[in-house]
Amino acid sequence: MMTRLPVVLLLASCALCAADREFERIARAVESHYGVTRTHIPLMGVANLFVKVARPAGTSGFKLALFENLNAARGYGDMSDLEQLFDELSAGGLKPLVRVHSRHGGESTYICTGEVGKSTKMLIATFERNEATVVEVQVNIDTLMSTLAAPELASKTFGIQHQDRDRW
Amino acid sequence: MRIAILVLAAGLAPLCAQEIKLPANVEKLAEKAEESVVVTLDSNMLRLFAKFDNNADAATKKMLAGLESIYVRSFQFKFEDEYKPADVESVRSQFQAPAWSRIVGVRSKNSDGDVDVYLKDGGNGKLAGIVVIAAERRELTFVSIVGSIEPEQLADLGGQFHIPSLEMGLGGARRRESK
Repeated sequence: MMTRLPVVLLLASCALCAADREFERIARAVESHYGVTRTHIPLMGVANLFVKVARPAGTSGFKLALFENLNAARGYGDMSDLEQLFDELSAGGLKPLVRVHSRHGGESTYICTGEVGKSTKMLIATFERNEATVVEVQVNIDTLMSTLAAPELASKTFGIQHQDRDRW
Repeated sequence: MRIAILVLAAGLAPLCAQEIKLPANVEKLAEKAEESVVVTLDSNMLRLFAKFDNNADAATKKMLAGLESIYVRSFQFKFEDEYKPADVESVRSQFQAPAWSRIVGVRSKNSDGDVDVYLKDGGNGKLAGIVVIAAERRELTFVSIVGSIEPEQLADLGGQFHIPSLEMGLGGARRRESK
């Protein structure tokens, strides 16, 4: 019994580390693929303290990476290029649930999850004309279902529009 | 060795679970489409939805738990006739007897659009899957549901996961106008 407990704890901590790695992996992939660096968001750590108040019900553990001036990046805006990037990223353990491309809005949204349970890590990557955001958030199943029902509204639901930088 | 086979099988399972294969010409429609959506849900995801979704009734939960995968691909176009009838036909032709039976085939001369519903016999009186192809002038939707499901249960899934809302009746299927 005593030997099992450390194993369970180790597995649990590995799962948490793996989820963290996915966010970093995607953020770094965007950086290296488009040759940009993420925009520093002042007081993001402090913002996380208030995230339960500021975000929709059933969300916690909010991580955000913002990328600006992407229209100058080579290949940015090419849908097939973006698809290829996400196909490669999906091989790493994230399950891609929804991909939405809107030519009218010039926006592409990718929603992926890790292992689903009562709550799950959801990763939303939104690529707009000039900016991109990668968000990781812990959500409950109701929030996950409502996000799946209207994925095009995900960026608005989680308040990850570009102006977030100013809000924080 | 056994572990390697299991890992390989697990990796291939989602590929096998998807009945519909969209040819390159259909995939290319995403470049023309005003909006395109891809939804992919595997059995683990569906079982967990069934378990934890408080809004679903008992029958819907039971149905979701019995499914292996849901795949939805939809294209919305700005103008009419941006896809060719041959594009849709290349997908329809994948679902041939004896494995597949077309239970519904609605061809509309007005703007309602065409709807085809195909069933795959799983043996022992059970269905193994359903494919829905809905072609409107400005919208094209392909749905593949793998697992044990009754055609009338399609109506319960309609409107969820980007599956078009269908009214299933003796007269065939009609796409419900979504609000």
